[in-house]
Amino acid sequence: MKRMIFAVLCALALVGTTVAEGKQDAAAAGTGQVLNIAHPALSQTWSPLQGGGHAARWQSLMWAAPMYFDKAGALQPFVISKAEPDAKFTVWTLSLNPKAVFSDGSPITAADVKGTWDLCAVPSTKHQRADLFLGGIQGFKEVTSGAKKAMSGIVVKDAATVVVTLGSPDPIFDQKIATALIAPVKISQVVDAAGNEKTDWWHPRNKVAVSGPFMPLSMDLDQGIITLIPNPKFFGPAPKLSKIVLTSVSDASTATLMLKTGKMDAHTELITPTLIEDLGADFVAGPPLAKGQQFWFDANKPPMDDINVRKALLMCIKPEDLAKAAFPLGPYTVATQILNKVSGVDPAFPKYAYDPEGAKKALAASKYKEGKLLPKIMFVGISTPTHEAAAQYMAEQWRQILGIEGVEMKADIETYSGPDQKSVQIFRDDVGTRVPDAVSYLMGSIHSSSGNARGKMGGYKNAKVDTLLEEATTKGVKDPARNKGAQDAQRLFRDDYMFIPYYYDVMSKWAMPWVMNFDKNDDWQVIEPWNVYIDESKRVKK
Amino acid sequence: MATKERKYSLTKDAFNRLIANKLAMIGLIVVALLILIALIGPFITPYDFLSQDLMSRNQPPTSLHWFGTDDLGRDVLSRVIYGARTAVLVAFSVTILSFIIGTVLGSLAGYLGGKFDSFVSWLIDITMSIPSLLLVIVINVSLKPTLVNWMDAQFMATHDEFWRNTIWVDFAIVFGSLALIKWPKAARIIRGQILSIRNKNYVMAAKAIGVPTSRILTAYVIPNAIGPIIVSFSATLGEAMVLESSFSFLGVGVRPPIPSWGNMISDGLRVWQLYPHVLAAPALVLAIATIAFSFLGDGLNDALNPRQWK
Amino acid sequence: MGKYILGRILRWIPSVFILLLLIYALVFFGAGDPIKLIFLRAPGDVAYDEARIDAIRESAGLNRPFFVQFGDYIGHIARGDFGNSLVSGRSVNEMLSAAVPVTLKLGLTAIFFLAIIGIVLGVVAALNQNKLLDNVIVGFALFIWGIPVFVAGPLIIVFMVLGLGMNVPFGWSGLFHPKVIIPLLVLGLNPMAIIIRQARAGVLEVLSEDYIRTARAKGLPRRIVVFRHILRPVMTPVVSQLGLIVIGTLNNSILIEKVFGLPGLGRLTESAIKDSDYPVILAIVLIFSIVVMASNLLVDISYPLMDPRAAAKKKGDE
Repeated sequence: MKRMIFAVLCALALVGTTVAEGKQDAAAAGTGQVLNIAHPALSQTWSPLQGGGHAARWQSLMWAAPMYFDKAGALQPFVISKAEPDAKFTVWTLSLNPKAVFSDGSPITAADVKGTWDLCAVPSTKHQRADLFLGGIQGFKEVTSGAKKAMSGIVVKDAATVVVTLGSPDPIFDQKIATALIAPVKISQVVDAAGNEKTDWWHPRNKVAVSGPFMPLSMDLDQGIITLIPNPKFFGPAPKLSKIVLTSVSDASTATLMLKTGKMDAHTELITPTLIEDLGADFVAGPPLAKGQQFWFDANKPPMDDINVRKALLMCIKPEDLAKAAFPLGPYTVATQILNKVSGVDPAFPKYAYDPEGAKKALAASKYKEGKLLPKIMFVGISTPTHEAAAQYMAEQWRQILGIEGVEMKADIETYSGPDQKSVQIFRDDVGTRVPDAVSYLMGSIHSSSGNARGKMGGYKNAKVDTLLEEATTKGVKDPARNKGAQDAQRLFRDDYMFIPYYYDVMSKWAMPWVMNFDKNDDWQVIEPWNVYIDESKRVKK
Repeated sequence: MATKERKYSLTKDAFNRLIANKLAMIGLIVVALLILIALIGPFITPYDFLSQDLMSRNQPPTSLHWFGTDDLGRDVLSRVIYGARTAVLVAFSVTILSFIIGTVLGSLAGYLGGKFDSFVSWLIDITMSIPSLLLVIVINVSLKPTLVNWMDAQFMATHDEFWRNTIWVDFAIVFGSLALIKWPKAARIIRGQILSIRNKNYVMAAKAIGVPTSRILTAYVIPNAIGPIIVSFSATLGEAMVLESSFSFLGVGVRPPIPSWGNMISDGLRVWQLYPHVLAAPALVLAIATIAFSFLGDGLNDALNPRQWK
Repeated sequence: MGKYILGRILRWIPSVFILLLLIYALVFFGAGDPIKLIFLRAPGDVAYDEARIDAIRESAGLNRPFFVQFGDYIGHIARGDFGNSLVSGRSVNEMLSAAVPVTLKLGLTAIFFLAIIGIVLGVVAALNQNKLLDNVIVGFALFIWGIPVFVAGPLIIVFMVLGLGMNVPFGWSGLFHPKVIIPLLVLGLNPMAIIIRQARAGVLEVLSEDYIRTARAKGLPRRIVVFRHILRPVMTPVVSQLGLIVIGTLNNSILIEKVFGLPGLGRLTESAIKDSDYPVILAIVLIFSIVVMASNLLVDISYPLMDPRAAAKKKGDE
């Protein structure tokens, strides 16, 4: 009797749920090479207008950027073939590449470019980085506040020309728009009557027209399996791969196992404590990235409000030991200044010295006199084993040299940072730039308007630093005064003792040795997806 | 009085049965050992559970470190011993807390009946019908930032270092959530016992001849309810330990660097393919502790409910 | 019977309403809304621009008062529309229609098998009480009870992959694909321990009854005694555990779906709560509630079928 109940129950459930379940994705076992990528998140949206998130790291596969930086760091035309400024660098004339077409054959027009960029600024699109690239355009603030739906500074001159007017001179505007995160989309498919982004327009079942070397064949968002095939109408070189499959694998050790056994070839962003031991140094290595992880002081919070305390803390740190503690096997390089990789790196930057005696003296000169009298120091952003090791190393140094006992670490930035954070004094966070420009690097990190200065450094403002940077912004790219301004600003900042140098990031390959031509640039995108191929002779199965 | 005699021989009987049960004895010894380690642990650990030797990370077991070292060079044995302290603290606090809540609510419900009883029963039903992990994640995600911010505000106002110590916020939330999940069980048992006894003839007779309520409780209700309560208590102890480790796995339990077997397991799961000892130590110890509580609980059940023995 | 079921459902509705309100309030006033969290968690180069974020929240209707928003959600849910995810914009109905069958299928199949195997093992153990077989089975039950499910999962995976050279069991290809065996195993092991012990205890209790001795004395073969007289009373305590087992399985699915890449409810739960995605959270809480309520209801209905004494008692109780 009870067995009958069980059986009936189960049978009903099975029948009912089988009927309701969605269809499976039939992956065709074709000829040619297939690249399997493990993706750490169950991304529920693959819209190219997110401006961030894990899905955005693969933007260049499906979408052609306005322009892009190649392996040598040179600016290459793509959808936009020419970007010409006027004498004051305020009005830019962008000419579209006549060969640029979408996957349905229609040409990429100036209206598409304007529509896309306007849509990026519209609040409902939630583009995370629109202000980084388009923030200087006239009318940007009206659109982001919701007052208007289009920027007055972007004008369609004709089907192949866009004229952009900036609010203030910006010689590197062409570099700023060289990012796949604002790739032009076919605006007629994307925008609804109210001027908002349509849901699911980017899904292949809606016959989306893409502009990149690959196009989506199928997207199973529930299982997290995205299949891409070459775009036959792509206006660049034909891709060598015959298929790319992105599979969502949220668990890092499962992903590591799959990579080791050859079931997966690459990963979007893999961070585990034993990554190098598991998959080799090559997997994690890559070209330096114009991005660095640093520890920032909030000078509003005691004891960091006393510059002597900050000096003392800094002088206890030996960069080589910090590196050995945090990343003994690499692949990062320990930092000395904020700038890295860009041409304006200061060769004569006065590093913070490792000076235990000086540290003790500085602490004695502060209002706290002794380590024991300091209030507890709290770190935030300690979210990976590397950061833990680094913070622990620092805490240990402070304990030994200065007698500071109370140091606490938290991983979650969201519990403390932003307008809600109260008593945390040290934040670990990254700063960087997507364009090879020292001034923009520093504008985003030490200028008082930057999120970093306002949030992490508690409203840091050094008027001289601000002025130097604002002046440097207006200088031309080849003008030596541009980099000089950046370097001077950085030195002034150094003397404020507001940060602990940590490390410079690398653009990790995150792909197994048999994946070739998988180089990525400062935009975190694969530079030439059409050139990627698999060298089977290098494939080693464990 | 006749009842006093019965009570005495009942306990003695149960005790004898318990001792005869080999498995239960093993469980008892292990549990006693666990509590002992929890009490004196910090005095016998070879290393401080916090001290790191960043040059010798992930070492396999050696004579220097009997259980090896973990990812930050900390001695695993010391952390496991300290973890015992956390485990015992969490298990006992949660169980006691949930039993207090459960007893109060359950006995009031059973005794007062009527609207109050319906309300408590309804509360029990709702709490038992939510998957505990869902509830705990929600509580952690929503209450923790609020609590932490409140404490921060207190610190800014008073500059008293006490408000900086957010570790006990972690513990408070863990205890609170676990107790919230566990109290219905205790309440149900108590309520059931009270309901069944309330209507027994001898109780009604006692009431009829004017025996005061408190005496009815102590003479009739409690002795009969104690059996199931003890069994449930012991079972809840084991479950609380495993639940806490589940929470740590999800990142909502006791946070590092305070060692709990749960967060050690969670850490160990990241590196165990290369360094299995980091996972093996806390996992084994947790398993042994849970099984010991199970043995003990089973033994107590057999001892106090002799019908099950032939 | 029909009236009884209807009555139960009607009484359940206000409970789940209050539950939804409670959880929504917790997340709303605690963690805050998903938009803020997206920007807080983004890497350092994403600016936390209050004005911009406020405009985004305004456009998503997140600036409206608490009860207005809640009423909006409930109104839609009552019409069967769970809305769109605040984080991805995807239709929640769509997400659920794919996720719910997976979890249900896995869960029900696991419970089905663990119940059968558990009962069999429990009965066998009790019939051989205190002999080697009994000790082995009880020992086994206690052993699997002691290993948390999230440890067992990865352990079994690596054992199978590195030890037996199988493929990593990842992803969902339907209930009848061999790679579903490992998740089923992991899901089912823990609750099976409970069933084994319940069944064993139940059988032991029954064995000492007089009517069993009578049946044996009559000369009935052991097998018939077992099936006809022992199993039925054992079912009652076992089935009574079912409600707890269903909840336990839902819990376990939260823990293991991530590891095995199963596109079910459990996977959605953790990410939805951590992202503060209101529509998804409310939908998940509702679904879990329904599942638990349904299983409790079924258990309650089946009591009288299994134990006629309970049927009589129930008529007096209600």
